[in-house]
Amino acid sequence: MRGLMDHVTNVRNMSVIAHVDHGKSTLTDSLVQRAGIISAAKAGEARFTDTRKDEQERGITIKSTAISLYSEMTEEDVKEIKQKTDGNSFLINLIDSPGHVDFSSEVTAALRVTDGALVVVDTIEGVCVQTETVLRQALGERIKPVVVINKVDRALLELQVSKEDLYQTFARTVESVNVIISTYADEVLGDVQVYPSKGTVAFGSGLHGWAFTIRQFANRYGKKFGVDKQKMMERLWGDSYFNPKTKKWTNKDTDADGKPLERAFNMFVLDPIFRIFAAVMNFKKDEIPVLLEKLDIVLKGDEKDLEGKALLKVVMRKFLPAADALLEMIVLHLPSPVTAQNYRAEQLYEGPADDANCIAIKNCDPTADLMLYVSKMVPTSDKGRFYAFGRVFAGTVKSGQKVRIQGPNYVPGKKEDLFIKAIQRVVLMMGRFVEPIDDCPAGNIIGLVGIDQFLLKSGTLTTSDAAHNMKVMKFSVSPVVQVAVEVKNANDLPKLVEGLKRLSKSDPCVLTYMAETGEHIVAGTGELHLEICLQDLEHDHAGVPLKISPPVVAYRETVEAESSQSALSKSPNKHNRIYLKAEPMTEETSLAIENGVINPRDDIKARARIMADDYEWDVTDARKIWCFGPDGNGANVVVDQTKAVQYLNEIKDSVVAAFQWATKEGPIFGEEMRSVRVNILDVTLHADAIHRGGGQIIPTMRRATYAGFLLAEPRIQEPVFLVEIQCPEQAVGGIYSVLNKKRGQVVSEEQRPGTPLFTVKAYLPVNESFGFSGELRQATSGQAFPQMVFDHWATINSDPLDPTSKAGEIVHEARKRHGMKEEVPGWQEYYDKL
Amino acid sequence: MSDIEGQEIDANMHVPLPVSTQQTEEDFNFQKFDTKEHERSGYLGNYTKETLSEKLANYYSLDELSSYLLKNPQFNRMTFQFPDSLVMDSSFVIKIVEKKLNESDPDNKRRLWVLADTAYSACCVDEVAAEHVNADLVVHFGDACLNAIQKLPVVYSFGKPHLNIDALINKFKETFSDVNSKVCLMASAPFTHHITAIVSKLKELGYSNLICSVINTNLINDNVTILSQNQIDPANATLLQTLGNRMLYSDNKSILTTSNDEDKSIEDKLREDVSLFYISIPQDPHLLYLTTMFNDVFIYDNSNDSIMSGPFPSLMKRYKYMHVARTAGCIGILVNTLSLRNTKETINKLIQLIRQNGKKHYLFVVGKPNVAKLANFDPVDIWCILGCGQSGIIVDQINEFYKPIITPYELTMALNQEVTWTGKWVTDFEAALKDVEEELATGPKEEDNITKDESDAPEFDAVTGRLIDTSRPLRSLKHLELEGPTSEDKTLAKRVSGGTVIKGTVSTSVAHLQSRHWSGLGSDFKTDEEFEEEGASIEQGISGVARGYGFDRHDAQKKE
Repeated sequence: MRGLMDHVTNVRNMSVIAHVDHGKSTLTDSLVQRAGIISAAKAGEARFTDTRKDEQERGITIKSTAISLYSEMTEEDVKEIKQKTDGNSFLINLIDSPGHVDFSSEVTAALRVTDGALVVVDTIEGVCVQTETVLRQALGERIKPVVVINKVDRALLELQVSKEDLYQTFARTVESVNVIISTYADEVLGDVQVYPSKGTVAFGSGLHGWAFTIRQFANRYGKKFGVDKQKMMERLWGDSYFNPKTKKWTNKDTDADGKPLERAFNMFVLDPIFRIFAAVMNFKKDEIPVLLEKLDIVLKGDEKDLEGKALLKVVMRKFLPAADALLEMIVLHLPSPVTAQNYRAEQLYEGPADDANCIAIKNCDPTADLMLYVSKMVPTSDKGRFYAFGRVFAGTVKSGQKVRIQGPNYVPGKKEDLFIKAIQRVVLMMGRFVEPIDDCPAGNIIGLVGIDQFLLKSGTLTTSDAAHNMKVMKFSVSPVVQVAVEVKNANDLPKLVEGLKRLSKSDPCVLTYMAETGEHIVAGTGELHLEICLQDLEHDHAGVPLKISPPVVAYRETVEAESSQSALSKSPNKHNRIYLKAEPMTEETSLAIENGVINPRDDIKARARIMADDYEWDVTDARKIWCFGPDGNGANVVVDQTKAVQYLNEIKDSVVAAFQWATKEGPIFGEEMRSVRVNILDVTLHADAIHRGGGQIIPTMRRATYAGFLLAEPRIQEPVFLVEIQCPEQAVGGIYSVLNKKRGQVVSEEQRPGTPLFTVKAYLPVNESFGFSGELRQATSGQAFPQMVFDHWATINSDPLDPTSKAGEIVHEARKRHGMKEEVPGWQEYYDKL
Repeated sequence: MSDIEGQEIDANMHVPLPVSTQQTEEDFNFQKFDTKEHERSGYLGNYTKETLSEKLANYYSLDELSSYLLKNPQFNRMTFQFPDSLVMDSSFVIKIVEKKLNESDPDNKRRLWVLADTAYSACCVDEVAAEHVNADLVVHFGDACLNAIQKLPVVYSFGKPHLNIDALINKFKETFSDVNSKVCLMASAPFTHHITAIVSKLKELGYSNLICSVINTNLINDNVTILSQNQIDPANATLLQTLGNRMLYSDNKSILTTSNDEDKSIEDKLREDVSLFYISIPQDPHLLYLTTMFNDVFIYDNSNDSIMSGPFPSLMKRYKYMHVARTAGCIGILVNTLSLRNTKETINKLIQLIRQNGKKHYLFVVGKPNVAKLANFDPVDIWCILGCGQSGIIVDQINEFYKPIITPYELTMALNQEVTWTGKWVTDFEAALKDVEEELATGPKEEDNITKDESDAPEFDAVTGRLIDTSRPLRSLKHLELEGPTSEDKTLAKRVSGGTVIKGTVSTSVAHLQSRHWSGLGSDFKTDEEFEEEGASIEQGISGVARGYGFDRHDAQKKE
């Protein structure tokens, strides 16, 4: 396996992504089984990549798990690969990811280190919200997708659909996948839509362990008909019909006499499958051997005695082994690291594109300086220690090698967030097991031992001291649900703090911090995510009994209008004055900042250009952005609109410091500000440097920001989930009544064609979402199961300063909880008269 | 220090204002504020101009003071210390005392000084100011913390403020409707005068579980005298507990034995069962201390006859600050007292402890610290304040300070290897010192086996949830393997990659300055597009002194 790693052209790094319960882990099993790691009998049930106890118990994947597989292709197949290859042995590094929306961050971390994605879609449920989310993320990372339509067995056994209906279902699913792809695809990737006729779509059943692509059938029939395989593939999909009488192909669905013709796909592909199903499930003992012979399937001694589903499984697995179809699709159609890094490099690297390190990534050069991105931490059996899981993008990583560990805040040339440390060991991650190796060249996915203390969640490892960071991952989910934890026994405090650190490491998205009130807060993306995190914290990371508060929501403070008058604050010595106005930023701008499209770390001029072109900013204003806040990267900005103020640059540091402080704790109830733009209009400064130092300016700028904020129609924003609920028609009424009670807003309601299922999409304030699943289950007698994912911040349209309004109530409640004075201070508190 | 301080009082002498620049009448008017009518009815009750002198003499027990002074003729140079709120009484008091001394002992010319505008906390004895005039006695007026000072003898005169006891009792009844509630009555030092009277009145009303707190008489010794203190007769009351400068008495011996477990300390029982009823508003640090000692705190505000029951300073906030200190790289030790006993020892030990933890410290002595003064020192990550527990510690309730402020006790906990939190609020230096020494003994020893070219692991900051690598700046010194500048070496600072070393120690403030956006004149021209090579033409600037420039005066005049 180590030998294969050097032939980077024959490596495929891919992740399996899908909506929850569409069968990723089950499908992965069939691949793992092919590699001989688990027995065929267990495949489909073992869920090899679900390594945690709770994953097995709950039947959902929580953490993404990597596994390396070896595969051999025939010479003939290899010829069809459109990229450079070397020999016919292939190494597939596969990452199985969770499907539940709450764990989307795991998917993001998996996508970063892979180049291709196997998108699994349920035949019956079709494309769901999470399918779209993960696909969008994948395309955003420039990852090429292939699709497998799973659970075909259910369509056949439970729904008893006709061949044509099944074809239509397939076609619709492929169509909706392609709609998403064309919406979000990066033009650099070229055409990445999927086509069954090109072999980028597979159909199958993970549970039964079978799957096929059109290409496989084309192979079979191509020989028989003496038709070229490529041509055959095209004929086996779409509006292409075969007239058995004339033995001619046509694209009309009727023959010359007007009699209906059977679609080629139905006739050649689905027919054998339907026949097997019919024969086996209807116990037509006599028909079975005939069929089997026709399809060259040989059953072993004891297998012949099987009946019903068990027999079906064996037969189908022999007929169309899932691993064959999937491996073929992966190897043929997904890019090798060499191919992929060529177009991904500039998007992965923060530095300039002509930088030596960027070029090394582009060429996937194993001899260059090391560039390695750690995307997540995986707990080891040794408590409190972690493997750093990541991918080598350039160079070769070796055991004992001394590397520079660059945290997310590292800036080239500075020593902040930079550590130097030797890597103890390099390991291959194999699901539950690890395998030590000596070194690992560019293009591969590995685990590292001995550097976990230096990185919290992710980071860049390099040997070049000129290297910039690899771009930080942007998650599609936000930790908006939080709880306060405290120890039951005061002596356990050190363990809790250590546990919080470990928890923080073990999950890419969870946040642990301390509230103003001194409570330890754990913030997650949803109730399930939090539940898992807290369970881990209590039983694993901290290992002490905990008291957990009911969940609360993080809010934001924002403004609706421009300040009604310019806010003036005087410094404590009354010799310096700051005049400013606050105004709202557009939601698009805020989102762009949050998603890193407008990046505080980018070059000022380039950034100003983007802001002017895409977000309707004035170029001069955009260039005069002094800082983003809070934490230097939030969606609030200070713009210098002063004219010819002497010494102004001297106070910039103080103003920046004050703005970070002010935006971190807004005046309404100490929550972060969002979408607030502060324009400094004028500044009067004392002529003596000592009288305009930080001590005078920092408190003044903070007061001025608060005054300007409070003068600009302050509002609070609450996080809103997008909820997707699939249910039968009779449950829809129940859904509506629960949504109504919870301030939910229905966005769309659609029936999935060909099924009795309805999909209801709605916006639901996170604050109301606690216990929503339970109530929904009750109202629909367990038929509706919601998927909730953070969607946006919604401004609550009432005055938070009025304690009788909805917003006011929330503010009042929070201020009381935080031990603040119950009344929100007015702008006059921060405003000074001239 | 103020204008009056250290000046011999002589009514006829004209005292010029000590300013560095000459002032015209116009300047003087500009900064003069309206004379205030002194309002004394808050503590003297009803008085007229004629009775004022008498009332004051009675209020401050001046007779007793005079006789004490007469009895102790060895005190020749005496300083009278007044808090800001009472400084208006100082001239009266001096006159009365001088008169009495002259009457009884006309030959002995003894000298009196007034100490005002106390630089640190007014409740403490300002020994340093007293030493300026070589005083051999300090008479402290007003509320006092009674904390031990280094050496000077002290006489405390708390004053006997007026209090409407009936109104207070009504409020008490409103607050505690149940006569069996366990309540501890406490008051600031001046109001303690009334406490026995209040307790006996309440007992008449049927309240049986009362604890009464009086001044801790154990604090009185040869050097400390307290004027006119009514004592509790130990015969019909038992001493339960001593809380700093108070002693808690109760005549109901079983008041705290009703709780089930006997092995609990009295402190724990107080914390669980007893509510506190405090008369007059305590200073923030003292209030915080009280909230940690009692189950519940109610404050009776004598100025407007009302009860306050929160929000009080929160100890949990202190817990957060303690965590901030764990990952702070640079600690500013803020000395807010010069007279308290053990100040120097505490500073020295704290410095030793901070160094041992690889953190950088700077020492500041700031009179009357405020937001602006402390915010001037950006590189400081957290302040550790040494001050009197009653009022010399800044408890930032509304987050107005740029960086948090903690106490030596909290800092000691923060510098412990393991996260610790006792839930106590200890401000006493002696107790803190003990902890510091303990921590010094058990703390991390200097590690010698650090591999030079590998970095130390960063620390997890529980407050922000991030890893912090700047928490031990002094550690990097060892990695750098620097030899301190030798005597021949004339360079002051040595620049090494990414940090600056002055005199063999890492300077975090230099590192901070280097990271600033604006690093000196001209540094901003690089980014300025409109920068013209020729420079600007000379124009006239503003004139005057910093206290009031020409334009300020102009503004002020316009307003009028």
